[in-house]
Amino acid sequence: MKTFEEKWTAWIDDQLTGRELEEFEASLPDKAAAQEEKQSAKKLGSLLREQMVPVLNNADFFSHQLRERLDHEGRRSPAHPAGTGWWTIRRLLWSGATALAIFVVCAVMVIRTKPASDQSEYLTQILNYRVDPALSPNATITMFEKKDEHVTVLWVDGLRSLPPEYATK
Amino acid sequence: MERRALLLIAILTIALMSSSVATRGEQTVWSGIIIATNSGPPEPTPTELTQIEATLRQLFGYTRLHLIGEARKTLKNGQEDWLATTKYFALRVDSRGQKDGAYVLNLKLLQEDKVLLETDAQLSKASPLVIRGPQIGDGQLVIVLMVQ
Repeated sequence: MKTFEEKWTAWIDDQLTGRELEEFEASLPDKAAAQEEKQSAKKLGSLLREQMVPVLNNADFFSHQLRERLDHEGRRSPAHPAGTGWWTIRRLLWSGATALAIFVVCAVMVIRTKPASDQSEYLTQILNYRVDPALSPNATITMFEKKDEHVTVLWVDGLRSLPPEYATK
Repeated sequence: MERRALLLIAILTIALMSSSVATRGEQTVWSGIIIATNSGPPEPTPTELTQIEATLRQLFGYTRLHLIGEARKTLKNGQEDWLATTKYFALRVDSRGQKDGAYVLNLKLLQEDKVLLETDAQLSKASPLVIRGPQIGDGQLVIVLMVQ
């Protein structure tokens, strides 16, 4: 069974006929006011239809554009599956192996280009030395290297001699 | 894609770090306080000195090498310090990192509370350092440092 609102909408759209129309019009409390409202609703409807025509004319164009875009996306997606990109597992492994190989080559080159002939680089070096002049006023210090044995010597002369008991553990 | 790139960077970083750690390694520095003399009962030369025994004999002219104090320190970060002591002497070593593959050390030879000698040295791994100290009786105080 139709509600009043449904019947009202159908009456405005001239969808009610026969007995149903008569009964509905009889149920209206103010038929004149209802007719006036029906006319204004019709006017509004025709006005809206006039305004919507250009929009509806463009509908096909937009739908065509949308289809074109979807087709384009669809054609492109198999070549570049989402979430994988350029970094496939195989490429990742190759990149890692290549980077490691470059590192090894560089390391070998650096090791080979080190000057092996410069022996002093491998010898211990004395950077500086000092004795307390108040404690050892006659002390002299000499530094030399015994390159054949790879030994560096700091030779201190003139320190005060000490008795044998200083040799205890 | 970003996750894989990050994974690649992480792998390379770990590879580089592990290679640098492998080349560095931990090393032990042995420091000894020795009396070189021609007198006293014969005794075997300390094993640490066998490598430079001939050099020491040739340098100082003594036949016997008697170890009176020693210390052995494993250097992990190159910033350690340690002490080799005898009854009257002490060798204080303060490591100050590495330079050109050698350890930079500050050495102080102390006689009781007096600093007899202070020196900064760059101790190379294949090159021992020998320091001639004061005369003691009829012998000679000798300090030796070497990377083992």
